[in-house]
Amino acid sequence: MQNIISDLDQAHEHDPGKKRKLIGDRGDYFLNRIQGETGTNVSACYQCERCTNACPVSYFMDIKPHQAMRYVQLGWREDLLKSSTIWVCLSCEMCTTYCPNEVGVAEIINHLRNIAAHSSITPKEKNLAVFHQTFLEVLRKSGRVNEFRLMNAYYLKPNILREKIKSGSFKEELLLGMTLLKKGRLKPFTSRSKAIKDIQKAYLQARGEIV
Amino acid sequence: MKLSFYPGCSLEGLAIDYARSIDAVFQALDIDLIEIDDWSCCGATAAHSLSEAMSVILPARNLSAAEQMGLDIVSPCANCFNRLRFSQQMIQKRVLDIPWPVTGDLKIHDMTRFLAEPAMIKQIKKRVLKPLNGLKLVCYYGCQMVRPPRITGYTDYENPQTLDRISAATGAQVIDWSYKATCCGASIGIARREIGESLTKRLLDKARRAGAEAIVVSCPLCQSNLDMIQKDRLEIPIPIFYFTELLRLSFSDRGNPKWFKMHFTNPVLLLKTKNLL
Repeated sequence: MQNIISDLDQAHEHDPGKKRKLIGDRGDYFLNRIQGETGTNVSACYQCERCTNACPVSYFMDIKPHQAMRYVQLGWREDLLKSSTIWVCLSCEMCTTYCPNEVGVAEIINHLRNIAAHSSITPKEKNLAVFHQTFLEVLRKSGRVNEFRLMNAYYLKPNILREKIKSGSFKEELLLGMTLLKKGRLKPFTSRSKAIKDIQKAYLQARGEIV
Repeated sequence: MKLSFYPGCSLEGLAIDYARSIDAVFQALDIDLIEIDDWSCCGATAAHSLSEAMSVILPARNLSAAEQMGLDIVSPCANCFNRLRFSQQMIQKRVLDIPWPVTGDLKIHDMTRFLAEPAMIKQIKKRVLKPLNGLKLVCYYGCQMVRPPRITGYTDYENPQTLDRISAATGAQVIDWSYKATCCGASIGIARREIGESLTKRLLDKARRAGAEAIVVSCPLCQSNLDMIQKDRLEIPIPIFYFTELLRLSFSDRGNPKWFKMHFTNPVLLLKTKNLL
């Protein structure tokens, strides 16, 4: 009997070698923070797994959506920010819509993605994070996002091109781009919005800089 | 009738055929669409993923410009509509300071729901010159247009009907199916191809099994995802139409094959066998 209990204390769901984490080792700090910032009630989650079953990409996630809610309740911040879940999520809002307890699952995962983007933790799905980053860079430069400029900027990011060539998808994507250009669906030159300065300023303010 | 029009970035590039068909349809319906003066991007998924503040501020700039015009907004793009609505709610709740003068009082219409109002359906039926008889369609809504219901205002979010009603008004045969609002993967295919492909392939497969000859969409990204994946597949191609393209086709007694030359899956053959072109 003694053995079983001590084994349980040592066991960890994902990594048996890891010491079992205790509930509330940092109090409710993280749970309260997330609930306050997103305005949703994570405590109401009772692990019915409706969100995970509704999610179209839960297969590609390491922490499933219902587990993510539990992790928030337990305050396991680092595991969440290190997960692929927060980057794979499509924000399709299936989970939030079908949650019987009206927990804003998608909003919470989105907020975790925000926190991860501003932390020093390297995203597990780096390419997805880099794509979002590139999108915002193009937006800041021209006020509108031109797909041609966006794709060029994305391919020029470190390692993206190399990975595409390695996986063999580069040639196909290049051909696809050429066809799109020929069909007139990619426009190398489109008008910019005059708002670039305003947007730049708003962006700096949102980052907490005094403009 | 006058409305302000927020086209969104895709309608200048990837979905330029959507923009053209919208122009034609609204001209036929005698509704003036006035493009919002110097509009800018709504931020899309990237803004709310990386900076929640920007996802409220960026659409607010366009809301402010439309308020100065004093016209209700209509948006053809599902994601733009969703982000504009979200921003409007955050402005009304005064969650953030917005650097632009904005009250959030305007109505924001999603284009499909605007055209699916009973009065508009009547107008559409009046203008149909050549009914699209015998064309078997399924309607695909995607996620951003219908979910989350507290933002989009859809009450029938499990089985939305707006595109179905519009397509039925053109005389086409609309088939019911279960994947109306299942996600197509959006931009995830650019960075993680296998995820995007698994989602779009399933949708095409289910549409085929439902007996559809074509899919009707209203979102530029859904269209390009479902369309481009078919570029070198061996199965029978399923053309992906914007709903305005079908309206335009039914409004004219003789359609033009040039309207569809931007599609990867060429619908001309299908339309010719149905005697619609």
